[in-house]
Amino acid sequence: MMSSAPLHRFAFAFGTAFAVFYVIAVAKDLALFTVFPSLGIVLAGTQHTNDLTDPAMGFLAPAMYWYGWAATAALGALTFGVVVALLPGRWTRYFWPGLVWLFPALSMIACAYLTLPWFRL
Amino acid sequence: MVLPTALLIIHGLVAVALLGAITHQTLAAWATAGVHPSSFFGRFRSVPSARFANAVVVLYAISILLGGIIYLYFRVDIRPGLERAGHWPALGFFDLKEHFAAIGLALLPAYWVCWRRPIAEERSQTRAMLTSILAFIVWWGFLTGHVVNNIMGFGS
Repeated sequence: MMSSAPLHRFAFAFGTAFAVFYVIAVAKDLALFTVFPSLGIVLAGTQHTNDLTDPAMGFLAPAMYWYGWAATAALGALTFGVVVALLPGRWTRYFWPGLVWLFPALSMIACAYLTLPWFRL
Repeated sequence: MVLPTALLIIHGLVAVALLGAITHQTLAAWATAGVHPSSFFGRFRSVPSARFANAVVVLYAISILLGGIIYLYFRVDIRPGLERAGHWPALGFFDLKEHFAAIGLALLPAYWVCWRRPIAEERSQTRAMLTSILAFIVWWGFLTGHVVNNIMGFGS
């Protein structure tokens, strides 16, 4: 059973939800923002270099999505965590606390699956 | 390249400290209570593992902050060279390092809560599993970072 303390409920819900939202963000390419380190700019949403410039120029402005994916997942997990923390303790006490490691473990396997194309090049 | 090199060295040093703390804690969390006190694992268990929790949280946060800064330099200066050289598996392992590190960062609040006070048997298993996942993430990140740096470190 999950602890009834709001802080505990938030911590468990946040860790569990982040793992789920993160995999969804990576799989669906849902970055809250995109970083272009060589240009020193940050653009809102998922921005592919090929959409902004000539494809042949893509190497000049590499895009980074990791920060944006993490931000998307953090936003979703923060919302979920706050909602769970505000719920009455009796509503959440029957959730198995092991979900907080099971979902991240499954998410890590999903991330490995999504990374497989790198190993087929 | 002085700043990223300095940050990379600090990142590595923080990672070594984190590796030691989380590995010790993981082994202590899984060591059985019946182990002889004078044995290797017995002495491991005698160190109060809960005291490592704050250190692990702080070191992990510092490590990922430094890694997040260095990653910008990596993407511009290092990764194109790795791509040209065809080190695709290394880049795949590095992508996994990013993913695992982010998931581990979000687990820190739950990990900290679990180690904060004496807990029931059911929660003890959750604590051991959370600690093990974090240990796996830290080991993966350390080894991958080390290998990628060996392939094409800063200044190469």
